Amino acid sequence: MPELPTVAIVDDDEAVREAVEELLMVSGLACHSFAGAASFLAARTSRQFDCLVTDIRMPGMTGTELIEHLRDQDDDLPVIVLSSVLDPQVRGHALSLGVHSWFTKPVSDERLLGAIAAAIGNRSGSGQ
Amino acid sequence: MTAVLFDPHENDETGIAELASESVVIFDAHGTIRYWNPAAERLFGWPALTVHGTELTELSPSPADEEHASSRLVQEGWWQGRIGRRARGGGIVFVDVRRHLRYDAAGEHRDTVEFARAAAAVGIPEAAGEPMTDRMMAASWEIDVSPASEILARITARAGIADQSELDNLHCRLVEASRIVEVNERSARLVGGNRGRALMAGQSVAAFWPLGSRGLLGQLIVAALGNEDGGQCRRQFASDGILRDPQVSVWRAGDERPGHLFIAVNGAADDDRSYLFLRASEARYRKLIDYMPIALWQVDASHMGKIYAGLRADGIVDFERYLEAHPDLVDQAAATVPVTDVNRRAIELVGGTGMPDLIRPVGYLFDASPDSLRRVMIGRFTGKKNYSELMKLRTLDGRMLDVRFSVTYPEPRLELDTTIFSLEDVTDRLRMETQLRQLQADFSHAARVSMLGELASSIAHEVNQPLAAIVTNAETSLRWLARDQPDIDKVEQLTARIAASARRADDIVQRVRGMAVKQAPDPVELALNEIVQESLLFVRHEVEMRAVRVTTSCARGLPSVIGDRIQLQQVIVNMLINAVQAVESCDEPRREIAIATATDDRGDLVCTIGDRGPGIAADHLDRLFEGFFTTKAAGMGIGLALCRSIVAAHGGDVSASNRPGGGAEFRIVLPRAESFAAAAGIAGAASGSFAARASRSA
Repeated sequence: MPELPTVAIVDDDEAVREAVEELLMVSGLACHSFAGAASFLAARTSRQFDCLVTDIRMPGMTGTELIEHLRDQDDDLPVIVLSSVLDPQVRGHALSLGVHSWFTKPVSDERLLGAIAAAIGNRSGSGQ
Repeated sequence: MTAVLFDPHENDETGIAELASESVVIFDAHGTIRYWNPAAERLFGWPALTVHGTELTELSPSPADEEHASSRLVQEGWWQGRIGRRARGGGIVFVDVRRHLRYDAAGEHRDTVEFARAAAAVGIPEAAGEPMTDRMMAASWEIDVSPASEILARITARAGIADQSELDNLHCRLVEASRIVEVNERSARLVGGNRGRALMAGQSVAAFWPLGSRGLLGQLIVAALGNEDGGQCRRQFASDGILRDPQVSVWRAGDERPGHLFIAVNGAADDDRSYLFLRASEARYRKLIDYMPIALWQVDASHMGKIYAGLRADGIVDFERYLEAHPDLVDQAAATVPVTDVNRRAIELVGGTGMPDLIRPVGYLFDASPDSLRRVMIGRFTGKKNYSELMKLRTLDGRMLDVRFSVTYPEPRLELDTTIFSLEDVTDRLRMETQLRQLQADFSHAARVSMLGELASSIAHEVNQPLAAIVTNAETSLRWLARDQPDIDKVEQLTARIAASARRADDIVQRVRGMAVKQAPDPVELALNEIVQESLLFVRHEVEMRAVRVTTSCARGLPSVIGDRIQLQQVIVNMLINAVQAVESCDEPRREIAIATATDDRGDLVCTIGDRGPGIAADHLDRLFEGFFTTKAAGMGIGLALCRSIVAAHGGDVSASNRPGGGAEFRIVLPRAESFAAAAGIAGAASGSFAARASRSA
């Protein structure tokens, strides 16, 4: 039986984190949420994720730094940014690092789920 | 009183007649005496006030002669001849007179002027041609002894039985009980102080008669009352510091005025000051008062003083409460305490056309603030020397002014019972203060908005988080509901989360709105620790983003402060932002801010905000709180200047220093609620340092 695709959520805001978790759950996706980049990276060493949904402005390591770190590690985990940041420079930089999609909060469920499905689909397509 | 005395200064001609060595008498068309100059007083012995209003014929030993003279006068317009006239001494004085008719504007007979000299043949010794001097004029009085009838009866009853000290005592009491009906100018000048003649009338004779000779005067009064023929009783008195060796004469006023007596006192003033010197000095004094730039009112509240004394004797101590129960006493004071004198500035201030507009009961001063009069009365009752307050004054021409009202109460045991009011128009000053406060409020509002601008991206991010959660939770709920078998429990849980997030967003919006909205400062009792916590909420996101550690140390049981919540938040937020900016470029271990509350050794509240940043350059320390001083490239230099003015308006102080271990520390000291309230009370409602007090009342 194939495993359910698992999505990692990184956001310092608990309410947002819980809301995205619930949305993925009702859509039949498995997920793990993390309050910061550091705890995600720690879990990453022992777990497999199919997609990462991350915030940008966070205490400690920012979302941008997290993406840079993953790319430095040659990690091709698809990344979707869900953030309040409107700065086009930050957005452009993230997209240049190969971010799959960039959403400004609040995002509609369909667009977020669509992007996640596309990211996972691409990956499984390319990986098999 | 029989007739209004002719005012010798009312016009020039009678003023001149005052100084004439000839006797000058003016009588009207009916023969009633209207004016009697000092030379006439000397020639006939009658003081002016004793003959005013009397018929000339009453003084004539042969009315037929007068009638003859009168008909010739009417025919010719003037008459010259010799007449006889009754003198005060009882004899008859023969004089050579010239009489001239005078006419009014309509050509009607107005009055007759009579010039007279002692007839040469009769040879009354006279130093003709010598001008009348003040010393030659008698100080004359008309008194009423009818209030003393009981004492008089007692004197009669005890005559020959009582010892000397009892009689002395009775004679003194007789003088105390006797009332003044009228006095002449000289009496008023000698003993009346600055009260003037009008105010002496109705008062006790003893209030103006030297203490040492009251008994003697009492004896003279008794003698004059007992004198069968109504003649005068005369006695040489001892010098009394006012007149040297005065001659005092007392005689009955006449049968038509029972109980009334005349007193004439002759003697030279017993000091070295000449009459002219006194007049000049008085004129200078009056002029000085008159031209004072402060509006002055002199009022005579002596009868209220007596009422207060009576109440005190009845055991009233809490006069404030007494007045609450008897508000009519305040009305009575308003209606009966007369203004006796005012200066030019007073007339100007209340917009009167002249002195008569202001010389009336004091009530008009307190129309717009009746409570002020109540407090003025309480001040006197409680024995204060003076009292002052800010009050509203409605002027006679209907303007409303803010005035600083001050009253100086009469000192007990001093001769004069006069109360002085002074009023200073502070309308413009208060208006300017209000404008300044408004400017300061506008300025701090502008600074708050600019501060919010600095925090804008933080705030947007903070609001956006709950909104994002709400949207996602709502859409997830819809997905649950769209299932064939909706999971109601799940929807319930998500809906609760939606509500929680919405409240969180609302809290943030409220907080920001408090800062952004322009409102008048609202001083209330506040807990400093709460202000600190609320201020931290504003910068929480900034602090987190920049990985700054904030340690708070809030002392327990702090006294409260009186202040405006938003303005105090503004000060602390401003300083926290400065601290965050100071440490954000430091290495992570030094990115630390410490905020603490405590009390100082005087019990006032202290809030310190320290950082571990680069600190403040020594030459900047002194200028840090100056307006437009800044070390930031994009800074305006208003933040700290405004912090200082806000804290100063709260009666506090703000200072900056470098910490021993590096970094800057800002220290805000705020007075605890009780002491600030007391200080503001002393400063007065208007000049009190806290902005809102006056701006709300203005």
